[in-house]
Amino acid sequence: MKTNLRKNSKAIIILVIIAAFLFVAARGMSGRDVLITVLRGFSTGSVTFLVAAGFSLIFGLLDVLNLAQGTLYMIGAYVGWTVYVRPDTFIDVLTPVLLILAGFSLSALWGRLASRIQLAPKARKIISWLLILAGFGLLALVLTRYPIAIWNLNNYSESPITYSYMADQGLRIIPAEVTFEKISPFLALAGLLVSSAISAFGIALLNRDESRSQTINWRNFLVPALLLLGGILAVVFNAQITSWMYAMSTNWLFVIAILIAILSGVGLGALMETTLIRPLYNRPIYQLMLTLGLGTIGLQIVQAVWGRPEFVWPKPEFFTGTGGACPATNLADLLEYNCSTVFLLGGRVRVYDEIFIPIVGIIVLIVVWILLKRSRIGMIIRAGVQDRQMVEALGINVRRVFTLVFALGVGLATFGGALAAPSTGLTPVMGERLLLSALIALAIGGLTSFPGAALGSLLVGLIQQFMIKYGQIGIPLPFTDAVFKPSPPLVPASTVLLMVIVLLILPGGLLGSKE
Amino acid sequence: MKNNSSFLTKNRGILIFFAVMLLAPFLIGLFEGSTPLMIWGNQGSLSKFIEGLGIEIFILALFALSFDLLFGITGLLSFGHAMFFAVAAYLTGIALKTLAMPFWGVVLLVLLAAIVQALLFSLVLPRVKGITFTLVSLGLASVFHIIVMSSDMINLTGADVGLQGVPVPAFISPVTERLRFYVIALTLLVVTYLFYRRFVASPTGRVCVAIRENEDRAKMLGYNTTIFKVVVMIISSLTAATAGMLHALYQPSISPSIADLGFTVTGLLIVLIGGVGTLSGAIVGAFAFRLLDFTLRRFMGESASFITGAIYVIFVLFVPYGIVGTMRMRQLRTKPGWQRLLGMVKPKN
Repeated sequence: MKTNLRKNSKAIIILVIIAAFLFVAARGMSGRDVLITVLRGFSTGSVTFLVAAGFSLIFGLLDVLNLAQGTLYMIGAYVGWTVYVRPDTFIDVLTPVLLILAGFSLSALWGRLASRIQLAPKARKIISWLLILAGFGLLALVLTRYPIAIWNLNNYSESPITYSYMADQGLRIIPAEVTFEKISPFLALAGLLVSSAISAFGIALLNRDESRSQTINWRNFLVPALLLLGGILAVVFNAQITSWMYAMSTNWLFVIAILIAILSGVGLGALMETTLIRPLYNRPIYQLMLTLGLGTIGLQIVQAVWGRPEFVWPKPEFFTGTGGACPATNLADLLEYNCSTVFLLGGRVRVYDEIFIPIVGIIVLIVVWILLKRSRIGMIIRAGVQDRQMVEALGINVRRVFTLVFALGVGLATFGGALAAPSTGLTPVMGERLLLSALIALAIGGLTSFPGAALGSLLVGLIQQFMIKYGQIGIPLPFTDAVFKPSPPLVPASTVLLMVIVLLILPGGLLGSKE
Repeated sequence: MKNNSSFLTKNRGILIFFAVMLLAPFLIGLFEGSTPLMIWGNQGSLSKFIEGLGIEIFILALFALSFDLLFGITGLLSFGHAMFFAVAAYLTGIALKTLAMPFWGVVLLVLLAAIVQALLFSLVLPRVKGITFTLVSLGLASVFHIIVMSSDMINLTGADVGLQGVPVPAFISPVTERLRFYVIALTLLVVTYLFYRRFVASPTGRVCVAIRENEDRAKMLGYNTTIFKVVVMIISSLTAATAGMLHALYQPSISPSIADLGFTVTGLLIVLIGGVGTLSGAIVGAFAFRLLDFTLRRFMGESASFITGAIYVIFVLFVPYGIVGTMRMRQLRTKPGWQRLLGMVKPKN
């Protein structure tokens, strides 16, 4: 205990100084303001933590600085919004996505098949590239003709802004269904499946060596079959599912939206890792630049699909009640009337923004912590962070763990996006801002340390919120009557300053490993 | 470099480049039907336009060159490099516009500020390494970006609109004396390039390469690596400041976007397209990047940056050594190159 204290004396001193600083800052406000500011700090911290935790897991195990994390956070928010506000679009998109996945999940089978085909290396290369090109060409051909009910960015009454505004007012516009006109349904489904299967075969043919050891059993057929079945069900019962989702309570819709956002993040992460990051494992700088480039591309795609203007994600019913005994003063009232605000210490606190988000953040912290500490996969991850070569030498398939961790990290980011969007709204710049605070939080806490990510995010959130609050009420300067009001740009600047100071004293961050 | 002829043969490429670029406005003038005399008198719209494009490319190339020295030669990945450029640009603008200082005084001030900034960055150099340095530099630069964007100093910096209406001294005004501006920018680029070549070939430069390869080993050999890094930082900062000053003089307005991470990434992209650690790659990359960007914006409009991002990813995946690096690869073995790129970010254990 004593040596532990001495070892971390610097970190403890810094923490004490920050705590004292925050305490002094809190003394300058009324109790009500302190409570709200601290809760908001926890809220910002939780969202930052979700992104930062994914970032730190990925960096710790894979040594990849995933600078696309901010964009992925944003994508999570936008995907969640789509499911929540426009379930019909989601159901329309579901079919092609599931069918393409079904085609690509045949790759294990194809790999087995490809390893039996004897071809000259050059012919193999040419044929596989031709197959990939043909597959993607066909895919593009089918997808451009596939009917998807989508908003119209050029027409204000059909833009995402209008849809979310109407949903916020409780009047959902149910858009007209789109039917198969340009292509027959059977042809579309078959085309999607065949084209993705062809490209999967091409890819399997290209890297033949990897797939040689795989064996074929019934599991290889189960996943494609399930995906195929899901896709076909989604297209056959399209109208029924859509109307069911529109009629559903928004609470459940919200849960579904969050789940879909997480799933899309996990899928995107796995896809990124297996196709783009994996070839670059021995070139760290290039991975960094690749993720930067992917971030830019993702941002452009989001801007092209959802448009630049900001819009809101209406909160679910559970957090929007105003009638009855609202704002609630006790838990029973809160649960009965689903109040949007509660009275705490004489101040109004928003339930979703300032209570729900921090609770979810803490739950995720605990769940991931247990996953890391108590499960076998967590043990492998922790061991991999310590010494990757040793884990490989012990005969563990690190590749699979890499993909899993990348998927998990990206999933956490998209979860954060979907969680934060109802309180912050959706803009194409949301990712960039959050990436900066997540990076700062990680640098403060220690780049590869999971508790460090939590601590750093909390500090960043608290300091940001205190600065914002003081920007409103102003800081009375000593010995004068003047009041200093920190302007909004100083909010990120203050956290950056803290980061530089912490890094100068402790290059590894507060809880990071010593260099 | 014993005699003149060896200097000429050694630097044949850059000298040919210099000559071609000097003649380019006149040759292009011939296409639109204006005589060289008219070009000399700054007439002829097409050649003037080409000169303008050339000046932008030279400024980008200078910036990328300084980034290549820092990142490609010494192995310091700074995400705050745009700050050197932006501070110089803003300082030039403010000194000329608000303070109305004499031109040479401004030049001195900007160079002095560049050295001060390099020393500020160097303050953290002995303590943080690798990716932490990247983050710290990103942090320092984003503070500057935030200050520029803040409304507190709107009278000086113009906040998010940018600094406009900088009175440029008449003798290098890009409107009336564009050819002179063009030649000055070109000469600065060529001289800087030659100096960089000489620097990398010098004993000091070799130690810098050693630091990139393996800092601990360089330390073990008795070199005080921090001093070398500081020297590189100062040279790089001075070059970037020169580029920033030219930018402020050439552009009608200084936009705050030159201070953010995106501009550093532009520098990184240029170096990547040209070839990391090749120096001449910075010039080639600047040409490729600016011309590509120009064409894409003209024909694609809004989606240009999407394609730029895609090109970025494609280069990272398939042309990792850039244009110049790949061309040189014919003579070089590939294996040392791969090893060179290993562990640039992460300090070796």
